[in-house]
Amino acid sequence: MSGLSLAKKLVLLGLLIIVMVTGLHYSAGGIERLTPLASSVRDILSPVQRVIMIAGREVSNLVTTPAKLIGLSKRYRQLDEKNSQLESQLLQFKEISEENIRLKKMLDFRTDLAPQLATEAAAVTGRDHGNWFGSITINKGENQGIKSDMTVITPAGLVGRVIRVSGNTAEVLLITDPRSGVGSMVQETRSPGILEGVTGGQGSLKMVHIPADLTPDRGNRVITAGLGSVFPKGIPIGTVREVRKEEAGLFKMAEIEPYVDFNRLEEVLVVTSYKLETP
Amino acid sequence: MRTFYFLALVLGFILLQSTALNFIAINGIKPDLVLVLIILNGFLRGTREGAFLGFVGGVMQDLVSGGYFGMYALTNITAGYLGGLGEGRLYRDNRFIAAGLTWFCTWGAQLVFYLLLAVAEVQVPVLTALIGIIIPVSFYNALVVLLFYGLYYRSHRQGLLSDGQY
Repeated sequence: MSGLSLAKKLVLLGLLIIVMVTGLHYSAGGIERLTPLASSVRDILSPVQRVIMIAGREVSNLVTTPAKLIGLSKRYRQLDEKNSQLESQLLQFKEISEENIRLKKMLDFRTDLAPQLATEAAAVTGRDHGNWFGSITINKGENQGIKSDMTVITPAGLVGRVIRVSGNTAEVLLITDPRSGVGSMVQETRSPGILEGVTGGQGSLKMVHIPADLTPDRGNRVITAGLGSVFPKGIPIGTVREVRKEEAGLFKMAEIEPYVDFNRLEEVLVVTSYKLETP
Repeated sequence: MRTFYFLALVLGFILLQSTALNFIAINGIKPDLVLVLIILNGFLRGTREGAFLGFVGGVMQDLVSGGYFGMYALTNITAGYLGGLGEGRLYRDNRFIAAGLTWFCTWGAQLVFYLLLAVAEVQVPVLTALIGIIIPVSFYNALVVLLFYGLYYRSHRQGLLSDGQY
């Protein structure tokens, strides 16, 4: 290899890296735009991903079934005993439930968000192929009325928001993604804060900028704050696991245990519209 | 034709990683099969082809992920080049050596990815990145190579990925 050709190659490599890093820097602010090519690629790959996902789930079930059978007999006896206990408890709970309904009516206290949200059910067809980001692809898109910034939930709680939409798919940024930020508050203490993801793959969350005088306790519930946010108010997120001081020292931060199991997401609900009545 | 098969394999692995591989994720971490493929290609073909096919495979990943364009391309150039450094220097018949090289190259590539995240203004705490992602992925990738290197090596010598020189 001559010195000149080596120099040429180095210059070319340098130019390539500069172009890529510049492109990366400028695309950083515009991840919510999907190019027509990327949009078409997604629409084509989505059915394939769905089939592989279903096949993978079936294989996973098949492989784990023999292991589950080993403890089945013991488990049956335990469940039988548990069943007897639960039957007696159920009678008590029915009575409590009736009482609860009466009290709720008296207080006109709305805890169930479901009647106030219009939702579209969607199946998860894929996930981010890397380990750093947390996003899922769902099988509903523009043609089904899905738009960017729509909130995505499960009956357990908040999942994330739609960031990109193609004809028949949409990408949902999970709240565990490091690029995600959710205006939230602690239900018991009313402490406001920002909920941030840590890494996509792990289901951990942190709530930052909590005022020091409103420090939450372990086990307190965290919900969406609603104010100036794309998320409706009052959607459950998780519980406080640990509270500590932020590095700057002025605020507190909390580790949050999410209600949603992000590694087991199969179906989600996209909130297409909502009307929340404040109590 | 060999390059075509290689890129088809990359596309297949991207699909697997976004679907079925999530069922074998440990603590949310799954092996990075595309990265493994690019490292092994570099190991068996040298720095030049390793970096080039790493770049092409990375562009495919960037296209499918639709996010920050160039992030996977630059990461995979690094991985292919680092893998290629082992070519001619390390004994290629031994799966343990291939696994060790994969462990090392995954570290390098993931560190580059971490730096590029900073360029894209995505903040991940260093310790979380190391303990939560880089170290587990390195070991997971090395384990995959321990299990499947023989298959890949045979394909490189006599199968679809062979260039007929053996």
